[in-house]
Amino acid sequence: MATDESNYPARMARLTARKIEQTKAKLAALGTRDEDDYGLVLPPASFKVELPARDATGQWSGPRAWAANFRWLMENHPCYIDPDDAIAGRWMFMLSRMRLGYQLSRSNFAFDYSHLEPEQKKYDITPGIGKDAHFAPDYQIGLDLGWGGLLAKVRASRRTIAAKPVFTNDNRSQVSNGTNVNIEPKIAGSSSVLTQGRAQSAALADSAYALELLDSEEQAILGVQTWIRHLAAAADDRAMSEDDPARRANLEETARTCYAIVDAPPRTFREAVQWIAVFNMASRTYNRDGAGGQLDELLRPYYERDKAAGLLTDEDAEFLVFCLLLNDPHYYQIGGPDADGRDQTSPLSYLILEAAGKLKASCNLTIRVWDGMDRRLFRRGVEILLANRQGCPRFSGDKALVEGFMRSGYSAELARRRIAVGCNWMSLPGLEYTLNDVVKINVAKVFEVAFAETERPEDLEKNYVRHFRAAVDVTARGIDFHLAHQYLNEPELMLNLLSHGPIEKGMDVSHGGATYYNMAIDGAGLAVVADSFGAIEERVVKEKALSFAALKAAVAANFEGEEGARIRALVQGAGRYGAGGTAADRWAVRLTEILRAEVAGRTTPNGFKLIPGWFSWADTIRFGKAVGATPNGRLAGEPISHGANPLPGFRKDGALTAMAAAIASVQPGYGNTAPWQLEVDIGLANDPDAAEKVMALIEGHFALGGTLVNINVVDAKKILEAHRDPSKHPDLVVRVTGFTAYFNSLSPAFRQLVVDRLIREAV
Amino acid sequence: MDNPQGIRGVVFDIKRGVAKDGPGLRTSVFLKGCPLRCRWCHNPESQEFEPERAVTTGELCGMETTVETVMEEVRRDKVFYAASGGGLTITGGEPLAQPAFTTALAAAALAEGIGVAIDTSGFAPWSVFEAVLAAADAVARTEQDSPHAADGTVRSKLLFLYDLKCMDGARHKVLTGVDNARILDNLRRLDAAGARIWIRCPVVPGLNDSDTDLAAIRAFVAQLRHVERIDWLPYHPLGVEKYAKFGKPVPPGLP
Ligand code: SF4
Repeated sequence: MATDESNYPARMARLTARKIEQTKAKLAALGTRDEDDYGLVLPPASFKVELPARDATGQWSGPRAWAANFRWLMENHPCYIDPDDAIAGRWMFMLSRMRLGYQLSRSNFAFDYSHLEPEQKKYDITPGIGKDAHFAPDYQIGLDLGWGGLLAKVRASRRTIAAKPVFTNDNRSQVSNGTNVNIEPKIAGSSSVLTQGRAQSAALADSAYALELLDSEEQAILGVQTWIRHLAAAADDRAMSEDDPARRANLEETARTCYAIVDAPPRTFREAVQWIAVFNMASRTYNRDGAGGQLDELLRPYYERDKAAGLLTDEDAEFLVFCLLLNDPHYYQIGGPDADGRDQTSPLSYLILEAAGKLKASCNLTIRVWDGMDRRLFRRGVEILLANRQGCPRFSGDKALVEGFMRSGYSAELARRRIAVGCNWMSLPGLEYTLNDVVKINVAKVFEVAFAETERPEDLEKNYVRHFRAAVDVTARGIDFHLAHQYLNEPELMLNLLSHGPIEKGMDVSHGGATYYNMAIDGAGLAVVADSFGAIEERVVKEKALSFAALKAAVAANFEGEEGARIRALVQGAGRYGAGGTAADRWAVRLTEILRAEVAGRTTPNGFKLIPGWFSWADTIRFGKAVGATPNGRLAGEPISHGANPLPGFRKDGALTAMAAAIASVQPGYGNTAPWQLEVDIGLANDPDAAEKVMALIEGHFALGGTLVNINVVDAKKILEAHRDPSKHPDLVVRVTGFTAYFNSLSPAFRQLVVDRLIREAV
Repeated sequence: MDNPQGIRGVVFDIKRGVAKDGPGLRTSVFLKGCPLRCRWCHNPESQEFEPERAVTTGELCGMETTVETVMEEVRRDKVFYAASGGGLTITGGEPLAQPAFTTALAAAALAEGIGVAIDTSGFAPWSVFEAVLAAADAVARTEQDSPHAADGTVRSKLLFLYDLKCMDGARHKVLTGVDNARILDNLRRLDAAGARIWIRCPVVPGLNDSDTDLAAIRAFVAQLRHVERIDWLPYHPLGVEKYAKFGKPVPPGLP
C-alpha cells in the first residue's frame, strides 16, 4: 500500500478532531441519547429519504419491502470521504427506525400480540418481540466469498429451491408484496389479524417464502455493491481535487480498494478492513446490528501475507485498524482460546490493542482473560485502560463463560468460540440466534406485585417465585411469538448473509435458518429486590423494629410524612447487597437461584432453550418509572439498580473487592453474563503497581466466577466538571454499560446515574 | 488466652479493596485509640480509645468486636490477596496500643496464609513488637508440621509500615505530643530482628518538610538493613472537617 507512516499521528489527530465535531453536530440535531455512539454521522441537510416500499401508515414488512427500501438507501446513500481516512464511507440512516412510531423500548411489529400485553405490562417485561440483530455474524463467510461470491451463493440456493416442488399460497402476497403491504396495523383485541397470521405462517414457511427471501437477499447485495462503486467513484473524484500528494495517494488507494471489493473477496489487509467496514455500515443501515467478531484472527491471514510480501508495515496495519475502529464501534474480541484451547494472541492482537489505545473515541474492544493467555496482552490492556481513562478495553472471563455454556448443553469447543461481541453478550459467530440483551424482566416490578399481595413476611418469597414464574411464562410465550412471526415482519437480510444456514436453507435466521437457538432472558433490578428482601429480614423479621403492615403502609405512601421518613431511614440502614455477609447478600444469591431455576430450567412452550442473565442495559431509568416505592427505601419512580451491580452507597468505603465478590456470587451460570459495571477513580496514578492491582481485581473476580467486566477508570474531577458543564469536556468518553459513549451526548438524568455509580477510593 | 479468636478490641472501620498502604489489594482494619496527637492526623476520630459519637450526626464511631468477627470480613477477599500479593492491614489509631487484639488478629491471619501489615507510629513498648514477632514465629512452628511449610515464609508475610515523622526529638514532641526516642529505638531493634519494614513519612508543608528534616530521616534509614522502601506521603487537608464533626479543635499550624 502507499505508505504515509510519518504522517499517521497527525492523521489520527485530525480524524479524532473531526469525530468530535461530528458528535457535536449529532448532539445539536438529535439531542442527547443514552445509547452507543454507533459511528453514525448526519446526512447532508438537503438529503431526502424517499423509501419506495412504505404503506399509508408509514409501515412495511416482509423481505421484499425491506429489500426494496434497503436497496434504495444503499443506492442513494451519500458517500462520506475523508482524505485522511484509510476507509471510505460512514453510515447515516437506520432503516429499522424509519418505520413510523418506532420506539427504542418497543419495536414495530406487524402482528398482534395484545393477548400477551396485559401480563407483560403487569411485570414490566420488555418482550423483545420484533427486535432485530443481537446475535453474531461470521465475517469469515463474507471475507472468503466477497459480495460477488455471496451473490452467487444466494442465486445458486434459489435455483436449487426453485427446482423443488413449490407450495403456492395466495396469501403470501398479503404479507410481503413490498410497496403494497396488506398487514393491518396492529389493532388491540383484533383476533382476525392473529388467526390470519397463523395461517400465513404455516403457508409461508415453505419454498415460496424461501424464494422471496433469496430474491430479497439478492436485492440487498446489489444495493451494497452499488454503494461500494459509488464510494470508489467518490474517492476518485475527491482525489482529482486534492492538492496534497500524500492525501491524493490515499484517496486513489481508497478508490482502488473499493473497486477491488465490489465483487471479489478481499486479498489484502486494507481490502479486508474496508470489506469489514462496508459490511458493518450496511448492516447498521439495515437494522443497527453492532456485533463484531474475533478481529485479530479474522485479519491475521491478510496481515501475515502482506507483511511477508513487504506490502504492509506494522504502522500501516495499526493505522488501518485505527480507521476501522473509528469508523464504527462494533464489538470485537481479541485474545482468548481457539476452539482447541490454544491461545489466539498474535502480534496483530497487540496492534489492534494499540490502535484502540490511540483512538480517543468510543470503542468496544474485549480482551478474553483465561488461564492459558499471554499475560502481556492483559497487562497492556489494563495499562491502556489506566492511561486513557476511556473505558477501553474491557475484559471477559473465559472460565465461567465456558463452564456455563457447557452447562447449557454445548461442547467445550463451541463454548470457547462463543465470544464477546455485544454489550453484555457472547455469541457463536454465524451459528446461533439469541435475542441477546433485548428481552428483560424488571424484577423490581415482579417484586412489587408480590409484595402488594403479601400479608405475612414469611409468604413473600413464595409469592415472588410464583409471580416470577408467571413473568418468565409470558416472556417465553412472547419469544415464541417473535420466532413465529419475525421472519415475516423483519427478516435479517444482512446478518443472514454471514450466517451458516439461512441462505442454504432459504430460511430467515429467526425462523429455522440458524443452527442453534439460545434465547436470552435477563433480569433487571437485582439490587433493589435483594435489598428489599434484606431490609425486611433484618428490620421486620429479626429485629422486629418494624411491623410488616407498617412497612407496607409506608411503601404504599411512598414513605411520605414523618413516620414514612423514619421507616425509610430504618430500612435504608439495613445491610445492603454488596457489603458482604448481609441478609441482602444472601437474598441476591437466592434471587439468582430462582432466576436459574425458572429460566434455564425450562424451554419456551415451543421448545426453545432459554438462557438467563442479569442485565438492565442502559434502561434503569425507564424501568424505574414503572415501579412504585420499594422496601429498600427507594422512592416511587426512581431508577432501578444497574445490571448485577449493588446500589450506590452499598458500603461506606465502596470496596472494589466487595463489589467484585458480590457480583461474582450472582452469576447466572449458563453461558450468559451478569457483568460487573465499575466506575472507579482509583487514585493510583502514581502507583507503579497500579496495573498489577487492577489485574488482580479482575482476575480475582473471574476466579470467583465472574463473566464480564465493564470498567471505567476515570478522573472523578473531570466527570463532575463535565456533568456540570458538558461543553467543557467534549472529548470525554465513558463506558456506559457494555458500550461507551461521549459523556456529553448522554441525557442529564443518565449522566447523574454515571456520577452516582462512581467509586472514589480514599486517597 | 484460652481462645485468642475471642479476644476483644475496639475497631472503628474496616475497608476492603484498599489498593494502597502495603502491597497488593488489602483489607484495612482500623483500631481505635492512639497515644499520639499528630497535628496533621486525618483520623481524629481514631484517637480516643472508647467508642464515641459524632457531635454533628450522632453516628457511632468504634465498636467492640472479636478477632473472629474481624476475620470473617478479612477472609472474604482471600482470592484477591492471592492474586495481588495483598493481605490484611492493621491500622488505626495505633494498633499496637491494643496489643493483645493486634497480636491475636495478626496471628489468626498469618495462620490462614494471609499476609499482614501493621501500620504503626512505633510508639509502643518493645515487648509488644516482640509479642507480634513471637506470634508469627509460633505460627511458623505449627506450620512446620505441614509438608507445605517453607522456612521463613511466615515472617516474610509480616510487614511493618513504620512512620517516621521528625528526627528532632523536641520538635517531634511539639508536633505529635510524644518524644521520638522510643520510636527510633524500636525501629533499630525491629531492624536488628530482621523484620520486613516499609518506612512512611507524612510530609506536611511548614511543619516537617525542610531539607534538613528529610535528609535526617534519610540518614537514619540508611543505617538500617531491612527497610524495603520509603514512602513520602503528601499532606491532604482531608481530616480537617472531621475535627468539627467530633467536637475537637483543629490543631494549629496546618497549611
Ligand atoms: S499516630 Fe496516626 S492516628 Fe495517631 S495521632 Fe498520629 S496520625 Fe493520628
